[in-house]
Amino acid sequence: MNLIVFLKMVPDTVEELKIASDGKTLDPDWLRMKANENDEHAVEEAVILKEKYGGTVTLVTLDAPEVDEAIYTALAKGCDKAVKILGDWQNFTSPAIAEVFAKYLKENNLIDSKTLILTGSQATDDIEGELVYYLGEYLELPVYGVVTYVQYNENKNNILIRKEFSGGLRGEFEVELPAVLGIQAAENPPRYVPIAKIRAMMKSANIEELEFTQDFASKGIEIEKLYEPEVAGKAVMLEGNPEEIATKIVEILTDKGLI
Amino acid sequence: MEPVRPTFWNIPHWLEILQYALGFLSIIIFTVGFIRHTKKWRIGRPEKILLSLWQRIKSLFNGAIIQKRIISEFIPGIFHLTIFYGMFILLIGTIIATVDWDVTHLFFGFQFLKGDFYLYYELFLDIFGILLIVGIIIALIRRYIFRPEKLKTIIKPTFSWDSFYLLGILFLIASTGFVVEGLRLSVQNPYWKHWAPIGNELSKLFASMPLSTLQDLHVGFWTTHMLLSFLFIASIPFTKAFHIFSASVNMIFKDTSKIGSLSPANESGVEKITEFTWRQLLQLDSCIWCGRCQEACPAYNSGTPLSPKNLVLKLEKVLISFNPKKISNGSPSNGEGKVHGEIISDAELWACTTCRACEEMCPVFIEHPKLIVDMRRFLINQGIMDQTVQDVLQKLQRYGNSFGQSERNRAKWASSLEFKIKDARKEEVEYLWFTGDYAAYDARMESITQKTAMIFQRAGLDFGILYEGEKNSGNDVRRIGEEGLFEFLKEKNQLSFGKAKFRKIVTTDPHTYNTLKNEYWLNGNGANEKIEVLHYTELIEKLIKEKKLTINKKLNIEATYHDPCYLGRYNGIYDPPRNILKAIGVKLKEMPRNRRKSYCCGAGGGRIWMEDKTPVKERPAENRIREAVSLNNISTFVVACPKDIAMFQDAVKTTGYEAKLSVKDIAELVWDSIEQ
Repeated sequence: MNLIVFLKMVPDTVEELKIASDGKTLDPDWLRMKANENDEHAVEEAVILKEKYGGTVTLVTLDAPEVDEAIYTALAKGCDKAVKILGDWQNFTSPAIAEVFAKYLKENNLIDSKTLILTGSQATDDIEGELVYYLGEYLELPVYGVVTYVQYNENKNNILIRKEFSGGLRGEFEVELPAVLGIQAAENPPRYVPIAKIRAMMKSANIEELEFTQDFASKGIEIEKLYEPEVAGKAVMLEGNPEEIATKIVEILTDKGLI
Repeated sequence: MEPVRPTFWNIPHWLEILQYALGFLSIIIFTVGFIRHTKKWRIGRPEKILLSLWQRIKSLFNGAIIQKRIISEFIPGIFHLTIFYGMFILLIGTIIATVDWDVTHLFFGFQFLKGDFYLYYELFLDIFGILLIVGIIIALIRRYIFRPEKLKTIIKPTFSWDSFYLLGILFLIASTGFVVEGLRLSVQNPYWKHWAPIGNELSKLFASMPLSTLQDLHVGFWTTHMLLSFLFIASIPFTKAFHIFSASVNMIFKDTSKIGSLSPANESGVEKITEFTWRQLLQLDSCIWCGRCQEACPAYNSGTPLSPKNLVLKLEKVLISFNPKKISNGSPSNGEGKVHGEIISDAELWACTTCRACEEMCPVFIEHPKLIVDMRRFLINQGIMDQTVQDVLQKLQRYGNSFGQSERNRAKWASSLEFKIKDARKEEVEYLWFTGDYAAYDARMESITQKTAMIFQRAGLDFGILYEGEKNSGNDVRRIGEEGLFEFLKEKNQLSFGKAKFRKIVTTDPHTYNTLKNEYWLNGNGANEKIEVLHYTELIEKLIKEKKLTINKKLNIEATYHDPCYLGRYNGIYDPPRNILKAIGVKLKEMPRNRRKSYCCGAGGGRIWMEDKTPVKERPAENRIREAVSLNNISTFVVACPKDIAMFQDAVKTTGYEAKLSVKDIAELVWDSIEQ
């Protein structure tokens, strides 16, 4: 299989997030970037597929702070090749990122009949999981998000996937290759690679760096204003016997004009 | 007539010749067996050792001659000593007799075993002979009537009944020896026969027998005694009796470096028996199945699959059955000598808290935790570990702390103090306080860490912290087996140390203390001044002694103190916390397992980040709390380790003793006594 994984960096929410003075972006002084968790699952799934069915895994990323660490970790996990697309992608949102990625794949003729493109089904900055669908659209390939299981059938050159729907429903689909998948969870949780192996990779591996000069029409969605969530009202604990509590609830609801 | 040793009395010449032939044969078999053992030790990886000649002599003297560790358990200690010295003196006696007969008598025509010297010789040997027999009988009673659990051996690297064979053959050798003596004395009836009191008593039993019967019996018992003795010598390398040699050699080659320092990992940990070092293999070969390690082990006692005894015996079995010829190009051919999976399960390896109780108890100086860490290193290298451990390792890698919190929050606990703690990276300080993760991030520790700071402040100590420059020290990471991550964290910390100006380090966490003191080599980076690392109990003790802290109020409470493994057993710090308690008016009642016998809380070696997969009998911390409660009338369980706060505050709740016993850090008590 020709497995291509797209991994991007997202703001680490363990760190405090502060809004920059322009009111539209996050303050880079407080920002720390980390690999998107679902993308790490995509890496894991790709490596599992490679181990099962053979082939190569190519990791593609957009340049960002701390991205090299994420790339070396993915290489140590079993990716064969890594590409870093250089450029200032800081304020690009999902539709535009998908466009960059699609152009890169098309222009370099990287998609063949055995290609499976995997990425995370969601990201901290892409809760709706738009990226994967835009990508399918730009590449004109079948696309499935929220995938939790992938099995390859060599004879038919198709994959059997399992996808989750809301309400605990699941669907199974047979999809011809090439195709695009948004991975929700890999078959196994992402593996741990000892630091010694990552460090060895840093010394031996080569990240292919690619200058992308084309202009893009937009950066995707234009953000007008970022603001911190409003502090919600504090909870009130109601005490007393069930009847008293019920009376109090009715009072509150009446007060708020809800009944 | 002057008494003289009647060597070969009543023995036909052909039997005498046969004795020499068999003696020679038994020595050959012994030598072949011995060499086989040394060849097995040598399949291991190289390990450099320090010369430290004096320490090695001392170690052999304490371990093998006065047998300090063995005698620490009284009954087995006593009978082991009598058996050992019984056999030893009888061996010396036999050597003297051989020289007397085969050297001086044969070549120079005289015997020195005569006159008074011979009489004392007889008496001395009789005494040690009877001590030997008494020792063996006590050992048999203990082993086969009282049957202590630790002596039950599931895995026998040599053969079943090895222990019985050993005690049995020694018993027979000693008793036939006395019968031979008795028979001889009853025929010869010399006037000095009371000098051999046991033989003399026995001879009275034979007094009524006719001469020819006595002579025939004498030849019969003499032959049996001879055959048994040579069988014993020849069998030593093939039974656990070999510990006489392997354990002694092991004591000589004991690790003379710091106890708390692990050796760096070989590339991928230990997968095969040949990947242990030669010294580790020698240790495995020294095990005498006594089970003291198992008895002391918190993992075993709480019902996990780990028994340090079985672990060592299983490895020894692999070693003994391994054919050194199967090594080509430095490593065993396919699948040979593997130790993981069917032999040592992952669950066994992960159950260890690295508390070192096993190692501390082991009479032959086996270093179990190091064996376990080496095997864990292989698992980590293969990515085999609990999800919870993996999560923590990833958090440590990214954030430098096991809580997965922002580095910026490391000194958040200090923000509500009335004073500001110096940033050692910006201002020079005398003491750099390295708090460690738990003291900095664990909510339960917040007020304790603040009180520690207030104590330092009150004493006028010139101290500072590294703020977000401090990373997890890596002590437990290293013991999980993630050597690369340990190196990574150590490098980051050393970078911060390089930026700061300080003269000494003080730590809160004993785990941190251990690695900073023993594994960081803080004076090894070209600095002229050696940097001293102190635990906060050492520092507070010093501050009280120097009268920098004034005790305003004696607490007048009765309490017990729990020795943290990494402070006590690993670093020998037993007295400073006790001296502090004394100074602040705490009446200390010791738990039965105190100091080097302290019982681990269960958090060490990365266990604090693992979950019990199978139901446990009783968690180590709960066992410990019950031990404390059994002391009666103590109100407080004093600890000196942040992980102990976490473990024991949980354990008092789960055991239902929350109202009876409060778990307190020693710093809290000190603060109570100095607060105005």
